[in-house]
Amino acid sequence: MAEIKLEYNLSPSYPKIKIITDTIGNIITLIVLGILFYLDYSFNWPAWVFWVLLVILVITIVGFIWSFIQPKLEYNNWSYQYNHEYLQLKFGVIKKQWVTIPMTKIQAVSTTQGPVMKRYNVRSIKVQTMGSEHIIPLLEEDVALRLREIIADFARLQEVDDE
Amino acid sequence: MRYHLLTIVFKIYQLIKNSFVLILLLFILRGNSEFWLLELGRYAVIIYIPLRILYIIVAWFVEKYEWQDQTFHIYKGVFVRNTRTIPFSRIQNMTRNTTLFHKLFGVTSLTFETSASGEDESIYFPVLSKERANELIELVQLDKRVEQATEEQSDDSQSVTGKFSTQSKRITYFKPVRKDLWKASFTSLSFLAIFPIAYGLYEYVQPFLSDIRILDSFQVILDSVWLFVIVVIVILIVSISFGIARTFLRYGKYEISADNNYIYIDRGVLEESYFSINKKRVQGLEIEQNFLKRLFGLAEVKLISSANPNQEDGSINVNSLYPFLPIQEAYALIEKLLPQYKLTAKLERLPLRSLWVKLLRPSWLWITATILLAIFKPNFLGIAWWVLVIMLLVLTIIQRVLDYIHTRYAISEDQAQWWHGGLTSRMFITKRKNMIEMTYSQSILQKIFQVASIQVKNRSILPRVETINDIPVNDARKSMAWYLMRSKDVNIKNG
Repeated sequence: MAEIKLEYNLSPSYPKIKIITDTIGNIITLIVLGILFYLDYSFNWPAWVFWVLLVILVITIVGFIWSFIQPKLEYNNWSYQYNHEYLQLKFGVIKKQWVTIPMTKIQAVSTTQGPVMKRYNVRSIKVQTMGSEHIIPLLEEDVALRLREIIADFARLQEVDDE
Repeated sequence: MRYHLLTIVFKIYQLIKNSFVLILLLFILRGNSEFWLLELGRYAVIIYIPLRILYIIVAWFVEKYEWQDQTFHIYKGVFVRNTRTIPFSRIQNMTRNTTLFHKLFGVTSLTFETSASGEDESIYFPVLSKERANELIELVQLDKRVEQATEEQSDDSQSVTGKFSTQSKRITYFKPVRKDLWKASFTSLSFLAIFPIAYGLYEYVQPFLSDIRILDSFQVILDSVWLFVIVVIVILIVSISFGIARTFLRYGKYEISADNNYIYIDRGVLEESYFSINKKRVQGLEIEQNFLKRLFGLAEVKLISSANPNQEDGSINVNSLYPFLPIQEAYALIEKLLPQYKLTAKLERLPLRSLWVKLLRPSWLWITATILLAIFKPNFLGIAWWVLVIMLLVLTIIQRVLDYIHTRYAISEDQAQWWHGGLTSRMFITKRKNMIEMTYSQSILQKIFQVASIQVKNRSILPRVETINDIPVNDARKSMAWYLMRSKDVNIKNG
């Protein structure tokens, strides 16, 4: 059966920004690991510490390589759409997920922006319901701000029997 | 209005009850110890308890409650004053609990639960006279009845007669019979409870027994086979009768009744409790059957509501209708109590390919256990570690095959219903309008076999998450489309 794609995509700069932030994170991890290896060497920590560090190092390196491939896949698999009744999100590379949230059940909506995101003029949107929290990562700034307003407006309505 | 005078006595009684073990330990069992932590503990207790008692007494003079315009106002705290305003309409359910203490003085306690979490979650009256408790219950329920009546006919006199007629219509739907209780005694395994209790007693008594040669007397018992058999039989008889007594005390006097708007549960022999919930507040239902209960044809019915399932004394889960209902009676009871739930829908079974997905899915639990067992090679009752691994694997497979057999589902009209689970199987049923979210998901394995999972969330203190796995893709997509028709069932207002 063909994949269903929802109406809107994330910002096209998603893969680029994701690679930048992931790389920064990975480099920091590598530096910390380097310091730990040095300390292990100079203070003669027990032997198992070395093996644990080695396993972490291998995982980090594999993750580092993967972090250059993953963002593009994530971007291709992310889509969302909304109308006055529902917000729908579709995402996931290995496990595909498709979430439907009634607008009336949304309790709060907010946008966030980190330093790298600011540089590229993008924001992410966080939607909170009574049961969970969902993030739409990296939308163009104007799209994000407009979507926030739209969701907030639709979410104002309430169903009669929840007080 | 002040709280009942006996509140002071009750709170002091509870304080002493709760710190009894500590006092016993600090002053009697380890009374001679000069270990600094115990010394410090003794001083702390000597200072804390009188201060606490003083606080309880002062609090009684300061703390007050009142109601007006269908709203409770609760004034709490001595140093930090705290005022809470809780409209009756936010009350989800109420519990009246009469413990032995309350019986002794002819009083009772009352808790109103709201859907809010944290500090505001409930209004608790530790001690109330019976008349006042009835008055408060009436007050809160009357409010809703009036609301109900005015919805239908906005006539004042009509609503008052409406109240009386709904009250007289309260019908009893379930009372356990002796046969059910015998079955319950065995399925609950409550006779096993004697072991922790006996162990606890032994722990208490042990310090006094240090002089007696316990080991020797054990040896005497073990030496004679006959004596050993007799001791075992006596222990068995004591524990089984203990279990039966416990079950009869807990579930013997039990009554489930309902009127148009409320479900009522009255229970308890020594400690009586009364529970009522507005039918509108029920978010869904659950029937649970563990392996033993299935053998005896019993099941537990639980209400899913936004109320806090953990009562202060936690002895009986308030959300459980009755844990040992004969399964047919459970269905009948649900249909009578909550007629909007239709349990007669035709349930679909999973196709065979779902079984393959279930069997092929890696079991992280089993893999982790295998790795750990292979590393540590524990000597467990003399069984080799690889035998344990195989046993675990067999158990996992049985669990999954049973899950495949048990899974049945129907998602249609305005409700979703499904059975799932291995050794313990569960049925879940809810209305479309009560679902606050639906998620469709598909892993790579599921994609190969063209199946998918559906997850729904319901409103509760901790959001209630229910999943049905490995249903055919077509049905899963239909469910998503079905959920998008949700607006048919709900009325929107501008808030």
